Amino acid sequence: MGGYGDVQMIDENGVRVDGRGPGDLRPVSIETGVIPVADGSARVIWGTNHAVAAVYGPMECHPRKIQRQDRAVLDVRYNMAPFSTPDRMRPGFNRRSREISKVTADALESVVLLEMYPRCKIRVEIEILCAEAGTRCVGLTAASVALAHAGIPMTDMVVSVASGKINGVVVCDLNKEEDNYGEADLPMGILPNSGELVFLQLDGDLSPAEFQEAWDYNMEAAMVVHQIMVDALKGGDA
Amino acid sequence: MAIPIVPQLLRAHLAELAENDERHDGRARWESRDTELEIGILRNAEGSAKVRMGDTIVYAGVKFQIMTPYPDRPNQGGLMCTAEIRPVAGRNWEPGPPSPESIELGRVVDRGIRESGCIDVDNLCIIPGEKAWQVILDLFAISDDGNLFDAFALAGIAALKSAMLPEVRFEMSDSDRPLPVSKIPTMCSYHKVGGRFVYDADGREELGGDERIHITLGDDGHVHSLQKGLKGIFTESEFSEIMEHAQSRCKELREMVLNAEEAG
Repeated sequence: MGGYGDVQMIDENGVRVDGRGPGDLRPVSIETGVIPVADGSARVIWGTNHAVAAVYGPMECHPRKIQRQDRAVLDVRYNMAPFSTPDRMRPGFNRRSREISKVTADALESVVLLEMYPRCKIRVEIEILCAEAGTRCVGLTAASVALAHAGIPMTDMVVSVASGKINGVVVCDLNKEEDNYGEADLPMGILPNSGELVFLQLDGDLSPAEFQEAWDYNMEAAMVVHQIMVDALKGGDA
Repeated sequence: MAIPIVPQLLRAHLAELAENDERHDGRARWESRDTELEIGILRNAEGSAKVRMGDTIVYAGVKFQIMTPYPDRPNQGGLMCTAEIRPVAGRNWEPGPPSPESIELGRVVDRGIRESGCIDVDNLCIIPGEKAWQVILDLFAISDDGNLFDAFALAGIAALKSAMLPEVRFEMSDSDRPLPVSKIPTMCSYHKVGGRFVYDADGREELGGDERIHITLGDDGHVHSLQKGLKGIFTESEFSEIMEHAQSRCKELREMVLNAEEAG
């Protein structure tokens, strides 16, 4: 965010650079079973975002020192492939991917019934193969589907969507330009069955009314994406 | 990679099958798994490919950077090839710095491509001694069920073959041009399982097998890279047997790269 308010990204009729209206999502498609060697896996293609997630476990917890006597530990990793961004990304962890891994783990720990697997580890691996804004949301959504596909018990799946503000207009599901030159970005992780939240971030500048509007967009979008997630899981493997 | 426990029962089972010239998944000795190749699937890469061989799935992506040419080759660009096997690819792969296995993988694939001379590095020079294109080929495994070498080599050359130099994005001209790739080197790998070499071993055969040999052949059947890996001994006659198979299989793989079509 910041200082790019003069880039025109929405016209007077409310049409955005990619032709969407303010409340429209990018096209989302989800497939399960895309990583045959994993216990559960999913691919989410969201606009030109392309993410895969794999789940391994519950398995023996290694190293021992991170083991918990009363519950499983969730080992979540978010990573971007070197060719996922316009400028090549150097392989390996960076501060950004560590933070996203952490908040993703925090979100998933709120829904996975970890106490059912004491002393175990469940590994969640999120790989972004092509990035176009909102990869943390796409990754978290993919991880939820992969966990469900692996048969890990959860109270609900997390659906994650980001809304924001461009040229003073609140819009749903920011794309690359809107994320780079917009005024605010509000990613949320929503439990669609209860409307509760397990993940929330914001950067930018929103008035209380704008904040409410972005919040409502995210809630609506989450219901749409949730249906696609359920259909993917019911539809069987790719 | 965590050192997997080598199951003695699996070894014994594979050896027993080998006596009747059988494999655990019903394939013949020189038979490959179903192999699929798709190109142009990842929008942010200048060239990309996905290869599926049975349950092994890998991606390759090409990116370009501007580099200063090496002092002894002021008129040439460069090629860099890295292989990453992320923990997403299997339960035995762990996070952390690149493992010796993945470094070996990247280097063997790199040698096959580099030594075949398929990329005209003179064509990548922008200003002699000052600026040149560096081609970066990143190989990325997401599902490891054996024989990542062949999957990486196939995805790698297919991604290079479809790559476009991003001259518009770097404000150098009005249109992008294809990366000049004049040859198609392809790799065939053989693992010794139950005392004899087989082609395209899967994860179980790698686990319960011994040494492996990788052969990269160019368009004219010339050898461009060889690598023997893991503990084991092999004879001249064994080598000429696999070389004979590699000569015919590499031609088929080359056809596959030539016929690969851009994804929609």
